[in-house]
Amino acid sequence: MIAPAAIMIFLFFLMPVGLTAIFAMTSMSTATGISGGVWQVTQGAVNRLEGDMPALAEGIAQPRFVVDEEGLAALEALKLKPGYVIELRAEHVGEVFPSRREAERVIKALKDRPSTREVKQISDLFNRSVLNTRFESREALVRSLEKLGFKLTPEERDKVATATYTGWVWTTDNFRMIGNSPDMAQIFLNTAFYVAVTLLLFNVSYALFLAVTTHYMPPTTASVFRAIWLLPRITPVVIYVLMWKWLTWDNGFLSLLMGQFGVPPKNYLLDNSYNAWFFVILINGFIGASMGMLVFSSAIKAIPETQFHASEVDGASRWQQIRYIILPQLRWPILFVTCYQTLSLLASFQEIHLSTRGGPGKATEVWSLAAFHTALNNYTGNLEYGLGAAMALVLVVVGLVLSLIYLRVFRYDTLISKPLIED
Amino acid sequence: MRILLDKFSKSFGATKVIEDMDLNVGSGEMLALLGPSGCGKSTTLFAICGIHRPTSGRILFGNRDVTSLSSQERNVGVVFQSYALYPHMTVAENIGFPLTVRRMTAAEINKRVAEIAALVHIDNLLDRKPSQLSGGQQQRVALARALIRRPDVLLLDEPLANLDAKLRLEMRSEIRRLQKETGITAILVTHDQVEAMSMCDRIAIMKAGEIVQIATPSEMYNDPRTAFVAGFLGNPPISFLTGRAKQGAFALDDGGLKLPLAALSGIPDGTALTLGIRPEHFGIGGDVPVEGKVTFAETQGRENLYDVVLPDGSALRSIQPARSDVKPGDSVRWSLDSKAALVFGEDGRRL
Ligand SMILES: Nc1ncnc2c1ncn2[C@@H]1O[C@H](COP(=O)(O)OP(=O)(O)OP(=O)(O)O)[C@@H](O)[C@H]1O
Ligand SMILES: [Mg+2]
Repeated sequence: MIAPAAIMIFLFFLMPVGLTAIFAMTSMSTATGISGGVWQVTQGAVNRLEGDMPALAEGIAQPRFVVDEEGLAALEALKLKPGYVIELRAEHVGEVFPSRREAERVIKALKDRPSTREVKQISDLFNRSVLNTRFESREALVRSLEKLGFKLTPEERDKVATATYTGWVWTTDNFRMIGNSPDMAQIFLNTAFYVAVTLLLFNVSYALFLAVTTHYMPPTTASVFRAIWLLPRITPVVIYVLMWKWLTWDNGFLSLLMGQFGVPPKNYLLDNSYNAWFFVILINGFIGASMGMLVFSSAIKAIPETQFHASEVDGASRWQQIRYIILPQLRWPILFVTCYQTLSLLASFQEIHLSTRGGPGKATEVWSLAAFHTALNNYTGNLEYGLGAAMALVLVVVGLVLSLIYLRVFRYDTLISKPLIED
Repeated sequence: MRILLDKFSKSFGATKVIEDMDLNVGSGEMLALLGPSGCGKSTTLFAICGIHRPTSGRILFGNRDVTSLSSQERNVGVVFQSYALYPHMTVAENIGFPLTVRRMTAAEINKRVAEIAALVHIDNLLDRKPSQLSGGQQQRVALARALIRRPDVLLLDEPLANLDAKLRLEMRSEIRRLQKETGITAILVTHDQVEAMSMCDRIAIMKAGEIVQIATPSEMYNDPRTAFVAGFLGNPPISFLTGRAKQGAFALDDGGLKLPLAALSGIPDGTALTLGIRPEHFGIGGDVPVEGKVTFAETQGRENLYDVVLPDGSALRSIQPARSDVKPGDSVRWSLDSKAALVFGEDGRRL
């Protein structure tokens, strides 16, 4: 019976996490693509080299035209007037021109008077610029650099190759970036705030409040209450968030209402970061409370009624019943709900994405939403898969660590202790 | 403190469980509620301790009308049929719970828990959880919890059902001693008539939500008002013969037995009758001989128990000092004690 469970765990947990971990160790992005790359001296590569090797950087950034044997041989093969080759070989071999214009001036001045078309044709043959040229291999890049007169040590070659490679590479930079960026720290704090407040206020406390109060209500009233609190959960999230937006838009209900008191209409949702947080937590809390309510209600129902009878007879007031009879027996459901909701709050971003999109500014940007923006959806169009995966991986690790802490705090071992039968 | 039920009725929706019950339990008295399963014993207890509100009628403790008081305000100790221990608390916490909710100091609670636990012999189990106890131990925890805050009224719903024979005897006298010492008014629900007879001052026998008879144990045993009561008390139980009245005597239909009884004078001949003979009134030393065949013999140590089938097929039970000369299949001629015979009319009422 272990095999199917193991396969399921592997397929649906270990494999995605493993893949995420693999992606997290790469620099994949829209720019690098996900297959291999080429070596290309882009302006970006030049900028990267400027610090370490200023001479080289400056040199390769310039276009170069060199009259060399290779070019002369190619010119001979073109079978134009033979005088071109003879004169170039005699007069100009070894000359280097920093721009096409200078090279073409010399060619135009040849005695055999090449036509404008021929001038262009000939100058192309001597073009030895590397800027923006794609090399299919590292060796090709190095060879052509040497031909241009750049003498490189092996270390310098490595640096140049790394700087000019356009594909993805294995790297731990993603984690360094997450660890060092102040933006990331802010997003981390946002997430901690969002998860802690929603969890404490709504997913656990408010859910407990609902479960306990409905327990003491007549059955029909209790069902009506529970059904009402289930609505946010069963409404499709797009519609549910739309209702909140309608409530808070500048021509929505709140604005209309406040308009009666002379307050000018405004977008309450995105007005400032306090409001944004207020609504983000309400939106998620109202959805989250229902699950805790159901779990806690059924756990309270599972407490034998005679225990309530006995405690009444023993003189316990309602408060004492809740404190001594109900809450201690909800330890396991509370642990379960706390764990489950922590993970789902950490991972869920669709409500925030649909309501504030992380705004105003980045005020309500939480970790999962940031990962989504980084890897799958952003305005600049450069999707950084590697960084996004690294962020997702951090989320998984945080979730696991928190779960372990919860198990400790709630003393899971005592919850599952076996009765000892002896007389 | 006296408990008085005055025209107490209880129904759940359309099901009437108890109707117009009157019951008076004197102060310091211990009353047994005896009756078959489902007759409403637990329901009556629940109403007395305030868990169920009566549908109509009044409940008085002493002269105080408690009908509309909540359980918390009644100071009643209850041992529930299912114990109703709190599974997440240790034994000590369970027992101390009534004091905890009264906000007593921990030291005081510990002291009283230790006292009461020693009384019911569970002082070595105080750190366990209820799930780690046997049924009998759980029952004693429930008893300790009911007693610890010295209630005015103690209600026991089959508190000894799960104990072994020796412990049951011990607890019987223990509960009785405690109840007498503290002068608590107590109601004991039980299926066990020996328990009822040995522990209680009076017994109330219930049937289908009504009290059929309420009397002291010996009154109830010797002078049952109906065949139901006679059948309920006594172990081994009474045996019944059906027959008719014939010239002031009870006669079996085949004429095999004729028993002249004072109670039958003035009863017209042919009236259907039921005769109840307790096992100790059939055997040696009676005055009316009966012939039959032994079908079953059982020794109970000091005494032997026999079933004797009469020629018409009806059976009599006999209990006698142990003897070894009678075996199943033997024909015997034993005698009935006609003075102790109980005769009931067709409706079950005693004549
Ligand atoms: N909450 C309830 N709703 C409906 N009917 C009930 C309820 N509680 C008890 N009854 C019914 O009332 C009757 C009396 O129940 P009660 O528990 O008082 O019996 P009891 O005499 O204690 O029986 P036992 O010896 O088996 O414990 C039963 O027929 C039972 O089905
Ligand atoms: Mg009962």
